[in-house]
Amino acid sequence: MSPIAGDPPGAGACTACLRRSWLLSSLSAPLDYCARDRWRLLELLALGDVELLEAVGGRRRAELRARYEALDLDQIGAGRERESLCRHDERYPRALNGPAAPHMLNVAGGATRLAELSASAVVAILGSTRASDYGMEMARSLARGLAAAGITVASGLRDGIAIAAHAGALEARAGTLAVTAGGLDVSCPTRRRSLHERVTRSGCAVSELPCDCRGRRWGQIAAERITVELAAIVVVVEASQTPGDLFAALTARRRGRTVAAIPGRLTSPLSAGTHALLMDGASLVRGAPDVLELLYAPGTGPPVKQEPDRPHAELEPRLRRVLERVRGGCETPDELARGAGSDGVLTALTELELMGLLARGDGGRYVPRDPMPVTIG
Amino acid sequence: MLARAHAFTIDGLHTRHVSVEVDVRPGLPGFTIVGLADAAVREARERIQTAIRNSGYEFPSRRITANLAPGDVPKAGPGLDLALACAVLAASGQLPGRGLASVALFGELALDGRVRPSRGALAVAQATRRAGLELLGVAGASAREARLIDGLEVAVVEHLSSAVRVLCGGAPDPLPGPRSRERRAEPAGAPGPDLSDVRGQHHAVRALVIAAAGGHNCLLSGPPGTGKTMLAQRISSILPPMSRSEAIEVTRIHSLVGARIEGLASGRPFRAPHHSITAAGLIGGAQRGWAGEVVLAHNGVLFLDELSEFSRATLDALRQPLEDGRVAIVRARHSAVYPARFMLLAATNPCPCGYAGEGDRCGCSEGDMARHRRRLNGPLLDRVDLLVNLRSADIRGLQDTPLMSSGEARERVLGARERQARRLGPEGVELNARMDTCMLRSHVRLDEKGEEMMRAAREQGLLSARGEQRVLRAARTIADLDSSERVRARDLGVALALRPDAGMTDSRAA
Repeated sequence: MSPIAGDPPGAGACTACLRRSWLLSSLSAPLDYCARDRWRLLELLALGDVELLEAVGGRRRAELRARYEALDLDQIGAGRERESLCRHDERYPRALNGPAAPHMLNVAGGATRLAELSASAVVAILGSTRASDYGMEMARSLARGLAAAGITVASGLRDGIAIAAHAGALEARAGTLAVTAGGLDVSCPTRRRSLHERVTRSGCAVSELPCDCRGRRWGQIAAERITVELAAIVVVVEASQTPGDLFAALTARRRGRTVAAIPGRLTSPLSAGTHALLMDGASLVRGAPDVLELLYAPGTGPPVKQEPDRPHAELEPRLRRVLERVRGGCETPDELARGAGSDGVLTALTELELMGLLARGDGGRYVPRDPMPVTIG
Repeated sequence: MLARAHAFTIDGLHTRHVSVEVDVRPGLPGFTIVGLADAAVREARERIQTAIRNSGYEFPSRRITANLAPGDVPKAGPGLDLALACAVLAASGQLPGRGLASVALFGELALDGRVRPSRGALAVAQATRRAGLELLGVAGASAREARLIDGLEVAVVEHLSSAVRVLCGGAPDPLPGPRSRERRAEPAGAPGPDLSDVRGQHHAVRALVIAAAGGHNCLLSGPPGTGKTMLAQRISSILPPMSRSEAIEVTRIHSLVGARIEGLASGRPFRAPHHSITAAGLIGGAQRGWAGEVVLAHNGVLFLDELSEFSRATLDALRQPLEDGRVAIVRARHSAVYPARFMLLAATNPCPCGYAGEGDRCGCSEGDMARHRRRLNGPLLDRVDLLVNLRSADIRGLQDTPLMSSGEARERVLGARERQARRLGPEGVELNARMDTCMLRSHVRLDEKGEEMMRAAREQGLLSARGEQRVLRAARTIADLDSSERVRARDLGVALALRPDAGMTDSRAA
């Protein structure tokens, strides 16, 4: 992908930061080993080049040191089609200033656009990679609402919640920030390629690793830390109570970012992590208005009313009855038909689906949808 | 001296008339068979020679030449033995030659001269009548099968000597009774499993009735243990009985592949091949004349359990039969067209582990799901009219009364099929599922609200052009089940709710 026109020619990271990037990719294997302890990985990433090399270089320490010092920067720079931006550049996102912040970013989508996107308020939407359809729908509608309000949505480029977040923001025709786990040229599985392209068309994908460096497990963790650093608020949509799913929220708390969570069902292990966060003092958000309130008026103002007193008053009574029962957790035709007639239920479900109030989820369940009209560009 | 007899050879599901010509003349003793005979026919020489001697006749020790005409059609199988032996006897003057003129003979010879049944007697009987011959001589075990054809005299010949007797104008052997083991077997038409065994799952039962009524291909999707297979096994009990011509078609196919035939097939075929089946096993053509499962399911149901476990190549091979109702097999040395008009019933888990959408039991990653979807999507799901999602029956579901018994369901199906036949009969189609675009346009008129729903569905990207046709077909059947002449919006609503894409398509992905 060619750089976006309008960027100053010759823009790029400085040599020290390019060296850093090269070093990280050379140390990818030992770092991956260290990534078993996520916090240790963050400590390592906070080290300077030489100290990092000493800490994880192992037997190849001397050899790598020699190569690092003799590094031919033209060689690294040669053939680079992506723009890059380092922390010495004034367009570099100001939020990236923590001890473990990346030194440079390769940017797909243009450095100028990255600067623009990170200049407005950034909200990270994170969560499980194995989200339920409830979580996907929540993430999607939250991202859509935030993007429509002019907030930049940031997330990884992984399965689950992250994908839904990008998709939601794209539905509102807004650009998103995607932090990839590996180099920009390699990190995308085939099934996500079209989304990757759509993200870079209107937003930015960034990575601290060289473009051809394969993403590993440590890369995922490192990318999560960048996402968190970029954001003012981190919203966890659906997370199980595992270290992997909760790591982003804990990092955010350490770095002083506001952590918010969307609740789920108490019986669902996929929401156990979010509930634990809420117990721990994370803000409960029910949708985009709550996040906006957190951003701009923390602790003030009356609670935002999410829905009118009688939602969907304009619907026919039979449709409203069905919709209310679906929202109440009665999700399959069989359950719905148990109370009422049978044929009428299927037809009503279809009509509601056609109105965009319901969507079919996994296994024939119906999931309530945000009634906002959707136009996919 | 020259003698000529009539016989038939089987090529795939077709029969070919074979004129067996035998010439016996002085010369070095020998027996030659010409005319593209396969190994089974060439070996007939030894069987015939021994059988003739052991039956008390004389095998001429002269030069015998047998020709199987037409010479360019390959002949297969041992069914030509009887005709060859009789022609040899006639050519050597031990049997009056004119006896053979209007008689077809079909059977394999044992060394002691007894006649063994050969597969495909029903097809041979059909071909005999078509060829204008008066009498067909077959072994006792095949006779029951051959007698299903009206207007043809079938003579039971249990031994070569009986055949000679019949050809001289004598009486045939008596028809043997069924063997004791078969007598004990269930009488035909015994009730199979009944739909009233199914507790709860009313949604699925209703959908199954719709599928049976319109002959729609149907995919059952649900976690393990929700009764997908149980439902599928009950489809036979709600399908209407076959017409006589359909039954003969089915019996003929089963006779040609060597199944034991005791009478006209009574129930519709229900074939459920294991998922390790190969494409050749499913479609046919593994060897010359090998009919696959789709052919055996003709006029019946092909049930593919664990659809996602079938290999991609196998599923792809189903396209032609699903589209055209026939299979055209072309191999290097032969080609054949088989009928294969069946209703496809498939069952699958919603994801590799089977528990997608069931609370949080599903442990599949997005990649697993994508792979699973890719496997099912594509060509096959495009030809499925109804998608039925089953959910684990909870306790309340199991206490539900069954929705209907097979008898009641069958009544409704029969009623709907009658209406379809009345409407579509003039166009040469019996089932809604087989309506083409043109028929859809003339027989499915939507009311205003229905049109509006279709428009909304199209605008939301829920329906492709092909998907739209499938929904209309299903809606027509739902209206037929309700004895409605028009397709109302509520029928369309049900059809749209059963449309086969959500949960299977990329509804989760962006």
